[in-house]
Amino acid sequence: MSCVRKVTEDLYWVGVNDKRLHLFENIHPIPNGVSYNSYLLKDEKNVLFDTVDWSGCREFLKNIEEVLAGEPLDYLIVNHMEPDHAASMEEVLLRYPECKVISNEKAFMFMHQFGFDVEGRKDEVKEGDIRCFGKHTVTFVAAPMVHWPEAMVTFDTTNGVLFSADAFGSFGSLDGRLFNDEVNFDRDWIDDARRYFTNIVGKYGPFVQHLLKKASNVPIKMFCPLHGPVWRTDLGYYIDKHDKWSRYEPEEKGVMIVYASMYGNTEAAAHRLASELCEKGVTNIKMYDVSKTHVSYLIADAFKYSHIVLASVTYNLNIYPVMYDFLHHLKLLNFQKRTFGIIENGTWAIRSGALMKNFIDENLKECTVLGAQVTINSSANEGNEKEFSSLADALVDSINK
Amino acid sequence: MSYTTKKHDELRAQIREWAEREIKPIAFMLDQENRFPGEQIKEFGKMGLLGIPFPKEYGGLGGDILGYAIGVEELSRVDGGTGVILSAHVSLGAYPIYAFGNEDQKQKYLVPLAKGEKLGAFGLTEPNAGSDAGGTETTAELRGDHYILNGEKIFITNGGEADVYVIFAVTTPGIGTKGISAFIVEKGWDGFTFGDHYDKMGIRSSATRQLLFNNVKVPKENLLGKEGEGFKIAMSTLDGGRIGIAAQALGIAQGAYEAAVEYAKEREQFDAPIAQLQAIQFKIAEMATKIRAARLLVYSAAELKENHEPYGMESAMAKKYASDICLEVVNDALQVFGGTGYLKGMEVERFYRDAKICTIYEGTNEIQNVVIASHILGKSAKAKPVSAKPKAKTPVTGPRKKVMINEGTAEANVEKLVELLKNDGYDFTVGIDIDTPIINAERVVSAGKGIGEKENMKLVEDLAKAAGAALGSSRPVAEQLKYVPLNRYVGMSGQKFTGNLYIACGVSGAIQHLKGIKDASTIVAINLNGNAPIFKNADYGIVGDVKEILPLLTKALDTGKKKPAPPMVKMKRTVPDEPTPAPRGRYVCLGCGYEYIPELGDEDGEVNPGTAYKDLPEEWVCPECGEEKHNFIPSSEQ
Repeated sequence: MSCVRKVTEDLYWVGVNDKRLHLFENIHPIPNGVSYNSYLLKDEKNVLFDTVDWSGCREFLKNIEEVLAGEPLDYLIVNHMEPDHAASMEEVLLRYPECKVISNEKAFMFMHQFGFDVEGRKDEVKEGDIRCFGKHTVTFVAAPMVHWPEAMVTFDTTNGVLFSADAFGSFGSLDGRLFNDEVNFDRDWIDDARRYFTNIVGKYGPFVQHLLKKASNVPIKMFCPLHGPVWRTDLGYYIDKHDKWSRYEPEEKGVMIVYASMYGNTEAAAHRLASELCEKGVTNIKMYDVSKTHVSYLIADAFKYSHIVLASVTYNLNIYPVMYDFLHHLKLLNFQKRTFGIIENGTWAIRSGALMKNFIDENLKECTVLGAQVTINSSANEGNEKEFSSLADALVDSINK
Repeated sequence: MSYTTKKHDELRAQIREWAEREIKPIAFMLDQENRFPGEQIKEFGKMGLLGIPFPKEYGGLGGDILGYAIGVEELSRVDGGTGVILSAHVSLGAYPIYAFGNEDQKQKYLVPLAKGEKLGAFGLTEPNAGSDAGGTETTAELRGDHYILNGEKIFITNGGEADVYVIFAVTTPGIGTKGISAFIVEKGWDGFTFGDHYDKMGIRSSATRQLLFNNVKVPKENLLGKEGEGFKIAMSTLDGGRIGIAAQALGIAQGAYEAAVEYAKEREQFDAPIAQLQAIQFKIAEMATKIRAARLLVYSAAELKENHEPYGMESAMAKKYASDICLEVVNDALQVFGGTGYLKGMEVERFYRDAKICTIYEGTNEIQNVVIASHILGKSAKAKPVSAKPKAKTPVTGPRKKVMINEGTAEANVEKLVELLKNDGYDFTVGIDIDTPIINAERVVSAGKGIGEKENMKLVEDLAKAAGAALGSSRPVAEQLKYVPLNRYVGMSGQKFTGNLYIACGVSGAIQHLKGIKDASTIVAINLNGNAPIFKNADYGIVGDVKEILPLLTKALDTGKKKPAPPMVKMKRTVPDEPTPAPRGRYVCLGCGYEYIPELGDEDGEVNPGTAYKDLPEEWVCPECGEEKHNFIPSSEQ
C-alpha cells in the first residue's frame, strides 16, 4: 500500500516521513520528526525529482510504483546529493533501467564518490539549461553552498513550481498534511523551520541571499522543498523569514538569556535580570539553561531575538565549557549583528566575562557587547544591585533605540 | 679638501666670520633663555644665506648642496641650535617646494623662502607617527576648492617661527602611506595654532613647537605634488635633510674639538700644558680623525646629491656616522675640560647637550641603519610581510564614551555635564581633601597648561573643593610653570590616577599624561581646543574657556561643606557600546564557503596579508577546494 498526495496537476508527492530518527545529521534532535520529500511529474516523459533517505526506501518505491501505474520512469533529476535525499537513487536506477539522470557536473562527481553507478545514463546540465518533458518545461538554477556546492533548484516554467532542494525546508514530519495552508505554520512549525535553517544553512547567509536575488526574477507559484510542507500560499511570509535569517537580522526585539550555572547562583542572577527587564517593560524574554538545552535550540533563538545575555561561571579559569560550545557554534554559523549583555561569576578568579567579550569581539561580526556588565563573586549581593539595574537599563535602551 | 672649491672656502669664511660675530656672543643667552635668534636669522637671510643651494631665478644664492652643508656646519660650529634653523629651513621647508612644487607654488613660496624673507618648516611627526609615517592621523578632507586640515604635529623645528610649512596629512584613510599627501600651509591661517615651545635638553636656540590644525582651510592649489604622493615627498625630502643634520653634527663636533684643542694648550697641570700628556693627545688625535672621516662622508653625500646621483644610502651613512662620532667627540672634549667643562656657560657643556639630538631626529640612527641595509639587501630582507590589518583605533585611555556636550550655552553644557555625572552615580555631597595623594584619590581635578596665568589656578582649586576632589596637574604645570608641587602631576612619569572621576581642565592630552589616567572610571575634559587629544580620551567633553566653564561648574557642584567620603568603591567604566566593525572586502567561495579575508591573505597561496580580492592574481584558486577566483561572491552587501 502506498502513501501519496497530489501536489498540483500532473505532480505528486511520493516522499516519506521519519518519526523514529532521534538526531538529524546525527547531531540535531528532531522530536517532531522530519519528512524526506520526493516529487513525481507525470507527463509525456515521467520525471522523479530527488529521492529519499535509505530508511524510507521501501515505502518510497511503492509510492513511485503506484503513481507510475505501469508506465516507465524516464528521468531522475538530482538537485541535491546529500544522502538523506540521494541514498535511494541507486535502488530507483536498478528498478528502472531506462531511467536517465539529469544533474550537474559537481553532483555527478559526488555520485561517483558515494558509489552510485550512473555511467551511460547521465544528462549533465548547467544553470539556464532547459529540458522539455512534453507539457512541462523546466530550467535549472545553481544554488551553490545552499548548503552544499552542487545544490541546484529546478523551476517548472509551465506551472510555476520551484523544486527548491533544501531551501525553504523544515524539520517536522508531515503526518498527512502536505501544504502550508493545511497547518498553522506560524504557531506549530516556525520554530522547527527556524532551527532547521539556522543550524543547517545558517553559515551560508551570503549564498542564500545570492539565490534569493536570482529567484526574485522568477514567477514562482509554489515551493516544493525536500523537507517539510509544500508552500502554495503566503510565499512572501516564508521568503521574508529566510531573508532575515540569511542577512543575520533578528526577527523580534527581545532578550534571550542563556545561563551556565553550576550551583544555582548564576541562574539566580539570570532570573534577577529577567525580572528587572520585565519591570522595565521588556517582557519578550526567553531563558535557557545552557547545560540542559541542545545547542541547536540556542542557535535558533539566537537568530530570532535581537539581544542575548550570556551568564556564565568561570570554569578552570575559562568560560564554562558548555557555554563555550554555544559561542563556538555561533562562530561556526557566521552569526552576526546582535547586542550581547554579560553576567560573569567566579569564586576566586573571575574570568568568564572578559573571555566571552573577547570571543565575541574577535569572532562575531558586527556584534556589540554592552559595557554594563554584572560581575558576581560567588553569589550576587547588594553590591551587585546597581550592576543589574545598569545592565537592564542598557538592554532596555538598546532595545528601544 | 678635494670636494671644496675656492668658492666654498670663501663662503665658509663669510659664514664663520658672521657666526662668530653675531651668534657666538649670545649663544649662552639663547641657550639659557630658550630663545630663537629671530633678528640674527633675518640678517642671515638678507645676506642670501637662507637660499644657498637654490637657483638665482628662484631668489637663491645659486650655490650648491655642499655650500649649504658648509653653512649648516659653520653655524653649528658655534651653536647647534642655530645650525638646525638653517637645516630645517632649507632641507625640509624649502626643498620639497623646489623639488615637487609647480611653477606657481615656486613663485609664491620658494622665492621668498630662498630670498630669506620667510622661514620654512616641515611637519611630519605626530604622537603616533614617528619613524613609522604610516601612523599619520592628521587628515585633509577635500571640500570643493579647498582641503580641511585637522590634527596635530609634534617636535616641529622652526615651529611658530616659520611662515611656510610643508604638512603631511591623510587624504585617503585606510591604505597606509599611500594615502598621505603633502600641503603647503601658511602661518596665520584660521585654525592653525602652535603649542608651547618645548623645554629641550639641547639646541635650545631653535624653536620646536607642536602644530595644531583645527579645521584649517587649505586651498586646493596648495597640494604639493599629487594626492597620495606625500610619503614619497617626505622620504625624498628626508634623504636630503640628512645631509643637513650630518653637517650639523659635524659642526658641533668641530666646535667642541677646537675648544678642546685650545683648552688643552692653555690648561697646565704637572707644570705643563695638558696637551703634552699622551692621554689628552690621543683624545685629540681620535677626535680629529673621526671628524675628518665624518666630513668626507658628509661632503661626498652632498656632492652625489648635487650631481643628481643616488645618494639616499650615502646621506644615511653620513647622518648616522657624523652624529655618532659627534657624541663621542663632545664627550671627549668635555673630558679634556674636566670640571670646568661641566659648568653652565662653557660652550663644551652646551655642545655636549646639543649633540644628542643629532642621533635622534630626521630619522633615528637605527632608522638610518634600516635605510642603509635596505639599499644593500633590498626590501626582501624583511622576514615576514607585515599585516596590513588596519589597527583598531583605541584611545590611549581605553574605550571611552567620547560624549561631546554641546547644548548651546556654557551654562547649559555645565548643567548637562553635572546631570550625566550624577546619573553615573557620583555623589557631590561627599568629598576628599584637596591634598589627598593622587594615588589614593577617588577624584582629581587637574590643571593643564591651557589654564593660563597662575591666578587661574584658584579656579581649579575652587572646582576641586566643590567636586570633593584632590588637586592634580599635567607635567608642564608642575615642572615648568611650578603652579603645583612636582608630586602632584599626573602621568606616566608622575603619579598614576586610578580612582573614579578625573576632571582635566586645560589639559591637551599628551600621551604620557593619558597613560597616567587610563584606569580612571570617568574622564571629563574641558579645553578650548576642540581638537585636543584629551577629548578622544574622555567620557565627557566641553569645548570652552576654562575661565568661563570652571566657575560655572564649581557653582553647580558646590554643596557647601562636604561630608567625608566613604571608603572608595571603584566604579565600573561604562565603555561606549560599539559593534565590532563590519568586515570589508571579504569574498566567499561558491565551491565550499571558504571566506577570503584580505587582512589575512592566503599564506599557502603566497598571497600577502593586506591583498584585496581584486588584486589576487587571476590564477589564484580557493585554498580549500580549488575553485577559481571568479567563482567568489561578496560575503556581505558592500
